Amino acid sequence: MSDSLAATIKRVKEKLTKEAVSSLLDEALLVSKLLGPKSEFGNISKEIATLSKDEKQQIGTLLNECKREVLQAIQKRTTKNTEKEEWFDVSTPGQRPPIGHLHIVTQAITDITRIFERIGFTRVRHPEIDTDWYAFESLNMPPDHPARDEWETFFIQSPITNNQSPTKRKIVLTPHTSNGQVREMEKGNLPIRMINIAKCYRRQSDISHVPMFHQFEGMYIDKNVSIGHLKGFIDYFVKQYFGPERKSRLRPFHFQFTEPSFEVDITCGICNGTSILPNGGDCKLCKGGWLELAGSGMIHPNVLKNGGVDPSKYSGFAIGWGVERTAMMKSGTKLDDIRLLYSNDLQFLEQF
Amino acid sequence: MNILVPDSWLREYLETRATTKQIKEYLSLCGPSIERVNGVDGETVYDVEITTNRPDSMSIAGIAREAAAILPRFGVEAKFVNDPYGTKIKNQISNIKNEKRLNVTTDPKLNPRWMSIVIDNVKVKPSPAWLSKKLEFTGIRAINNVVDITNYLMRAFGQPAHAFDYDNIGTKNGVPTMILRASKKGEKLKTLDGKTHTLPGDDIVIEDGKGALIDLCGIMGGESSSIRENTKTVVLFLQTYDPVHIRRTSMALAHRTDAATLFEKGLDSELVGPVMQKGIELFHTLASGVAVGEPFDVYPESFKKYSVETSRKKLNSYIGSPLLDEEIKNILNNLGFEPKVTRDSISVSVPSFRRDVTIDVDIIEEVARLYGYHAITTTLPDGEPPATIRDPLFDIEEDIKTRLRDFGYTETYGYSMLSENETRTFSLHTKNLYTIANPLSLDLVYMRPTLVPSILKAISDNASSAKPLALFELSLVYLWKENDLPMEKPKLIIAQSGENAFSVLKGTSEVLFDIYGISYPSDSLDFSNIYLTTNKTLSLGSFGYIGEVKRELLASLDIETPVTILELDIETLIAKKQSVGRFVPIPKYPPSFEDLALKIMPKTLVGELIRKLKNADPLISNITLLDSFENTRTLHVTYLSLEKNLTSEDVKPVRAKILSTALKDFGATLKS
Repeated sequence: MSDSLAATIKRVKEKLTKEAVSSLLDEALLVSKLLGPKSEFGNISKEIATLSKDEKQQIGTLLNECKREVLQAIQKRTTKNTEKEEWFDVSTPGQRPPIGHLHIVTQAITDITRIFERIGFTRVRHPEIDTDWYAFESLNMPPDHPARDEWETFFIQSPITNNQSPTKRKIVLTPHTSNGQVREMEKGNLPIRMINIAKCYRRQSDISHVPMFHQFEGMYIDKNVSIGHLKGFIDYFVKQYFGPERKSRLRPFHFQFTEPSFEVDITCGICNGTSILPNGGDCKLCKGGWLELAGSGMIHPNVLKNGGVDPSKYSGFAIGWGVERTAMMKSGTKLDDIRLLYSNDLQFLEQF
Repeated sequence: MNILVPDSWLREYLETRATTKQIKEYLSLCGPSIERVNGVDGETVYDVEITTNRPDSMSIAGIAREAAAILPRFGVEAKFVNDPYGTKIKNQISNIKNEKRLNVTTDPKLNPRWMSIVIDNVKVKPSPAWLSKKLEFTGIRAINNVVDITNYLMRAFGQPAHAFDYDNIGTKNGVPTMILRASKKGEKLKTLDGKTHTLPGDDIVIEDGKGALIDLCGIMGGESSSIRENTKTVVLFLQTYDPVHIRRTSMALAHRTDAATLFEKGLDSELVGPVMQKGIELFHTLASGVAVGEPFDVYPESFKKYSVETSRKKLNSYIGSPLLDEEIKNILNNLGFEPKVTRDSISVSVPSFRRDVTIDVDIIEEVARLYGYHAITTTLPDGEPPATIRDPLFDIEEDIKTRLRDFGYTETYGYSMLSENETRTFSLHTKNLYTIANPLSLDLVYMRPTLVPSILKAISDNASSAKPLALFELSLVYLWKENDLPMEKPKLIIAQSGENAFSVLKGTSEVLFDIYGISYPSDSLDFSNIYLTTNKTLSLGSFGYIGEVKRELLASLDIETPVTILELDIETLIAKKQSVGRFVPIPKYPPSFEDLALKIMPKTLVGELIRKLKNADPLISNITLLDSFENTRTLHVTYLSLEKNLTSEDVKPVRAKILSTALKDFGATLKS
């Protein structure tokens, strides 16, 4: 009993000493609060009454000692508080927590995902290495079709030998994220609001091309989907990601897997879409105030059919663009060599 | 493809007062994109991008036809003039008797239309300035009047043409002979640029009467019968081909020409006749050539008009609002379609040059682009959003990345491809790697099945950094599946350099496991990994491992400091992760603390020791390692009861249990 009480007294002393040091109350109030009859020590004094004579003496002494220490702490604090404040060099550099960095591509992917989640588009993942069927043929691009030139495709050596259809045997590194279109439709859930972000590969490497890059694909399938919905989708993204002052437009284009097809332009952030710089010079970044952002279109009926979707009941749009390019366009940085992105040079990575 | 269109040449087919700026802007919005307008030698030249489905627009006249349909939509009057399809084929009157005969055999499957004519009395000389200038503005070097005429026809109308030297075509029975056929594999042909091609087989070629190949059809003419200064008689040759054959040969031989890019899109056989007429006229004016008789024309299957239909409902749904009958008719008429518009449907008769229009949405595109995409009302998708559940993978990936960044790690992205050299360094069997058949360079050939080479490359590439490196990558690896696509699995790899790295990485992994509510995987001692040292390596079971990389492996990568790596399998983390924290009542009574210094036997596993001692009594709430010095391990023990304040009486037996377990299981004793 007395052992435990002694321990409690010591613990209370520790606690009160700490409080005494840090408290801003004036001395009289603090003494009454920490040492008065209603304080924790006051309560312990009442318990002492129940002890044996020996114990009373022992614990009583301890209690008084402890109370004195607390009182000293209170007094010391008061004197200290009246002393002049010591000089402190606030210009000394602080103690910094470590800073890590996320790759600029990760940052862009997170931003894009967030933006589209808010209008009900959910991110999914589809293969980055896929069959010719999903990467080309199901997208209305038969073998030997000139439209395939657009994609400098890497092929994988070993075919899938137990498949009868040649296009399902051949394996490619996906040159775009559109291989996810038919795969997503095959899940059989309609309507679809999909975002697919993945690595893509093309046979190209120079200051403005990397053999590995990331693409983003948006797909919407529902009843009565219109070109206006695609415009709304793009406009929403452009304003959220690049800023409310940016505008977008569609231009006619041709892709085998959409009809009609469009190229998407946004106003240039450097010249504000005027093609003329504040100093009167011509803007070098854009073409007449516009920058190409993405390829898009209304999904071709053959593609819908390949995904098991009835084109007489449903329509939809698809849009794809490069994550790296979009990120660069946002930050306004023009890398003199885009391959820096994957060089893993810390001097580059630590800038983001 | 892009073509260059000089403004003055365009206006030979387009009557309009539109300015160059209007032409550029309005065409780009509703038709072919004008990417640039260049001023060259006093001429304005449009650089126009034409999509692969529109070979009819790959010419000056073709662009004029589009412009004449588009400009009026913006209130600018415009008219398409000198339409080649309106050209009258005149009968040739010739004094020359048919002594210049030509024997022709062709195959309509490969060559839907053959048209040729012998032109005699030709004088080869330089072209007049207007012609050579026109060609040069469109990016073709002028050569002589004969060759220039053929190039002029191609640029003006989009129909490639070729001229042979009649006298150099091999004869059979005394008559120059041309036999169009599919080639055999391995046949050789020298084109007029001097290159000798060994043919892949099934290429469209022309053989002459002596059995020599004189034309790589649709791509380039042969050298033997090409036009020379002393050429007197030419065969002017206009034709269409099966596009797939042209495409295949051109790609296989990597021989890309303007003619091939046109032919492989599929050209309109109906255009061949009018262009032949223009050609004959030009030969007459520019080379004093005289056509011998009438053109020889093999065209067994002429174009049959067909119609395509779409519903008004579908058109309205694509555009988002209904269009007036008049507007629809107007748009389609200007593009050369003959529309029939009823209350429910639109039906068009497709002109021969627009065979890209085959289904309902093709008509919708024509109407919508001329109506103007800019005029369509912008609105967010307004259907009911589907109830989908986001894959937890993305959340955990993002969460781990963000936490690691906050712990001070920097994220890297390595290429997914490894070099042959790397597969050797990392002892990867290439048989079980997805291998690129057409790599861009020998550095990027094999799809990586592990992130170890990539992260060590990142360490090596930053070896000059003064501070210890702390890098990570979270990417998919591609694992071999026999006769199938790869298994694409997300993996996390962290690499840390420096002497203390093992301990730092182990701490990082402990925190990650804590965060996801997973108890730390128990150590398995017999784990080994070919990249890691045997002494500083720890298995984390199905989650992964931590280990210091072997010195010799590091040395082969020019890394001089020790490096420790941590690999975790993201899918396993997700499977074992506790999705929400579980509430445990907050203790009402304060804990007691005590430090115990234990003298241990050599090679005692302190992790094991702590784990065992923690289980010695329920009152022990935690034990951590406070200090480690020689054979002493100081443990910080926390005692806690949910029912009462612990007294030293309460603690005494618990401490005794700790010490007896330490002694019994580990031979460790309390240091006095």
